[in-house]
Amino acid sequence: MSRTTTILAPIFGAVSILAAWQFLLPLSGVPAYIAPTPTKIFSVFFTQSDLILSNFVPTATEALAGFFFGNLAAVFFAILFAYAKFVRMAYFPVVLFFNTIPILALSPIIILIFGLGMTPKIIIAAIICFFPTLVNMLRGLQSATANEEELFRMLSATRFETFLRLHLPRSLPMLFSSLRIATATAVIGAIVGEWIGADKGLGALIIQATFNYQSDKLYAAIVASSSLSIALFAMVALAERWVMRGWSK
Amino acid sequence: MSSHATAVDARGLQVGYRNGRDAVTILSDVDLTVPTGEFLTILGPSGCGKSTLLRVIANLLDPLGGQISVLGGAPEVARRSRKTGFVFQDATLLPWRSVLQNIRLPAVVGGHQAQPLSDSRVAEIIDLLGLSGLEDRYPSQLSGGQRQRVAIARALVDEPDILLMDEPFGALDEITRDRLNDELLSIWRDTGKTILFVTHSIEEAVYLGQRIMVLGANPGRILNLQDLRAIKTETNACKREDPAIVAEIAAQRELLARAS
Ligand SMILES: Nc1ncnc2c1ncn2[C@@H]1O[C@H](COP(=O)(O)OP(=O)(O)O)[C@@H](O)[C@H]1O
Ligand SMILES: [Mg+2]
Repeated sequence: MSRTTTILAPIFGAVSILAAWQFLLPLSGVPAYIAPTPTKIFSVFFTQSDLILSNFVPTATEALAGFFFGNLAAVFFAILFAYAKFVRMAYFPVVLFFNTIPILALSPIIILIFGLGMTPKIIIAAIICFFPTLVNMLRGLQSATANEEELFRMLSATRFETFLRLHLPRSLPMLFSSLRIATATAVIGAIVGEWIGADKGLGALIIQATFNYQSDKLYAAIVASSSLSIALFAMVALAERWVMRGWSK
Repeated sequence: MSSHATAVDARGLQVGYRNGRDAVTILSDVDLTVPTGEFLTILGPSGCGKSTLLRVIANLLDPLGGQISVLGGAPEVARRSRKTGFVFQDATLLPWRSVLQNIRLPAVVGGHQAQPLSDSRVAEIIDLLGLSGLEDRYPSQLSGGQRQRVAIARALVDEPDILLMDEPFGALDEITRDRLNDELLSIWRDTGKTILFVTHSIEEAVYLGQRIMVLGANPGRILNLQDLRAIKTETNACKREDPAIVAEIAAQRELLARAS
């Protein structure tokens, strides 16, 4: 299949569904307060761009900060657990237990403690990102083959050199695969936090629009939050391409 | 070149694995003296302990008993001073480093053992292994034979006295393997290294070695240590179709069949 076909096929797919939605919806008799047409959703971004933007910025800030701090902490603890065996044996089960608490059950407590500002949302987004990255990164740090370990031993590599030149590069594919997933979960974390208690942000907008039967605003908020995930994903994919440029071509 | 006349000396050596307080002996009563500069091939069925023996000599594993010295001292001293180099069957190149960066790895890690490598030394070794033009490629862009050349270049670049090779050509097709056998012999002639070369191929063992050591399993031991110099030239060269070589291959095959 040609390159243009590969690019055009998914665009054709998306456009055909939007077109069907646009023209078949009015014929189906579904009321507009349940499902607006794509053009109506799209027009919200122009007629009420201030509303969308003023709610987009807090959610983006929370998701980005949560993504950053959650993954940073995960990488730090993965390195600690990988090299300090006792710490791993003592605290890894605690982390495993913590992970079994549903984030929806935990979120109200976090809101209670930290109030209604951005901080609790950042913390919820960070917690959601933390665990998968910790587990992936830890596994990645331990994924060097027996021969690779022996090669470094043959060369009398120090522990730090083995970390820097073997374990860290080895962990990167697994780190990036969990960072890619975390781009979506960080946004989910921020929005969930906003549902429970916030007066701004896309999560708050979703709740307000739902209760007021403003389906065009509701759908516009959904489009905005998935655009946020896509933008985060693209940033991670770019970073991955740059960091791993030598890996395989 | 080392000043020691003996590269490897083993007396009543026992090798195997410790598992907590238990020990599983894989090979026992290994008596072996390898003079400096010798090309010794080690042949035996899969699982008989060839890799285990090589790992003890390399100081990647402690022996269970007996004596072992490398260049007149402990194997650890030889390893720490980079007197022993190791080549693995799967090449073990780091996929995120280019050919050049893989070859330079010994200059990058090793604490104070890591000596800076001059560009001319690296160029020399790239030339020796026929890797010119491939310096900037990554391992995934190389053929199996090219990867093994890089692995050998990396093992040789900081000039060890002893090269330990664990089935380095075991995963290659026959044509590539034959060519690399000839190149290895020529490197050995040029550099005068001691080479201990493990293989499960009888043809390869007879073709390469000045001496051939045959190991047997259950119980693991040395079955035979045979000098091949009489059927080869002064420089350890021979023709694969030479009747004496063919007969030797048949004799070794017979010996291995009888033992198992
Ligand atoms: N890390 C290990 N722990 C315990 N036993 C091992 C280990 N590695 C290899 N063995 C066993 O030691 C025996 C010899 O292995 P090895 O030296 O790799 O054989 P070869 O290289 O001749 O094929 C095998 O039976 C294998 O199962
Ligand atoms: Mg082996």
